[in-house]
Amino acid sequence: MFIFALANQKGGVGKTTTAVTLASGFAQAGLKTLLVDLDPQGHVAFSFGQEKTAGLYRWLVMEEPIKDVVQTVRPNLDILPSDKNTEKVKRHITLMDFRESLLKDHFKRLKYDVVFLDLAPSLDVLHINGLITSDWVIIPTRLDAMAVDGVKEILLTMGEIGQKGHQFTGYSILPTFFDRTTRETITQFQEIVQTFGERVLPPIPQDTRVREAPAFGQTLWEYTPNSPAITGYQNGKSKAGGYQQICERLMEVVYG
Amino acid sequence: MAERKRRNILDPAVADLLAGMEEKQAEARLPKREREKIARERAKMRARKDHRVTYDLPPELKKQVGDLAEQMGVAASQIATYALIQFLQSYQNGEVDLSKFKVPSRSPRYEWKLVFPKSLLESVKKKKV
Repeated sequence: MFIFALANQKGGVGKTTTAVTLASGFAQAGLKTLLVDLDPQGHVAFSFGQEKTAGLYRWLVMEEPIKDVVQTVRPNLDILPSDKNTEKVKRHITLMDFRESLLKDHFKRLKYDVVFLDLAPSLDVLHINGLITSDWVIIPTRLDAMAVDGVKEILLTMGEIGQKGHQFTGYSILPTFFDRTTRETITQFQEIVQTFGERVLPPIPQDTRVREAPAFGQTLWEYTPNSPAITGYQNGKSKAGGYQQICERLMEVVYG
Repeated sequence: MAERKRRNILDPAVADLLAGMEEKQAEARLPKREREKIARERAKMRARKDHRVTYDLPPELKKQVGDLAEQMGVAASQIATYALIQFLQSYQNGEVDLSKFKVPSRSPRYEWKLVFPKSLLESVKKKKV
């Protein structure tokens, strides 16, 4: 089982959209996939047209079996939803011994090929649990100064976790809401490429249809499979960016 | 002593995209006449767009096509055109069976991929043209 976490302490950078799109992409490829919502906003369930439920709370606090709390939303794809009860999970965890590895311990019992953790934009105990559980961290970021600063913050947090003994296989930075016509995008893109080099994934083009898909309870693969957010930019003879290419890159991470 | 610069290994798609964006940004700073010249060249390239395609080929196959084109003094595209016509004719006549190479693909985009045995590529390599 390979676990990806989607993290950025800055909100509104496309974490949930990315988590939903990648998880459904992996599931379509035939991998048994679980998407876990660690954000009390509960937007993972919403994105699939499902009701928010206290799945995470029931699994971690009430100790209910995973099969009773997940929802199968597409072939090969289960989600573990969240709602406002996830706030209680944080309070519960805070009082426990070994509080930072609670989630990791629970995952040892699961049988999925790939898991995606959609982390909340915060730095609380659940966020740390998510990072400690993950093998690979995907850091979505808009190309503006505040979001790029969020990338640096998450990397500092990962560094601190690394010092406590957890080894990440690696991490990637995913530029989202990418608008290649603006000067600020170019400047910020140059900066992150200069700083992080091969860690930078091809970007996800800005695309209005991405905002529309959750309103219909559909994934991007279903709602707008030929949109730039999926297919990327036509860059000369080749394609660059888009979730299709990101899925391919991450398959290489999982399978080498 | 020349200053040593650390080399960054970038994702190829990121490198291409960034290079394209930087090129456009640099173009925007050029005098009008030069910008117009570049625009004309780009229009010419665009007009040829329908004739162009990119396929990933095994390097040895690419080399074989290139070598044959060189030897005959023609463009590699014309060799590839003739090769594809031959293949499509054979396929339409039922002389080619691709199904034996099909294996399930993990890509979300494709259901199958064709995996060719090494011996197939080597059979072309051995015969000197």
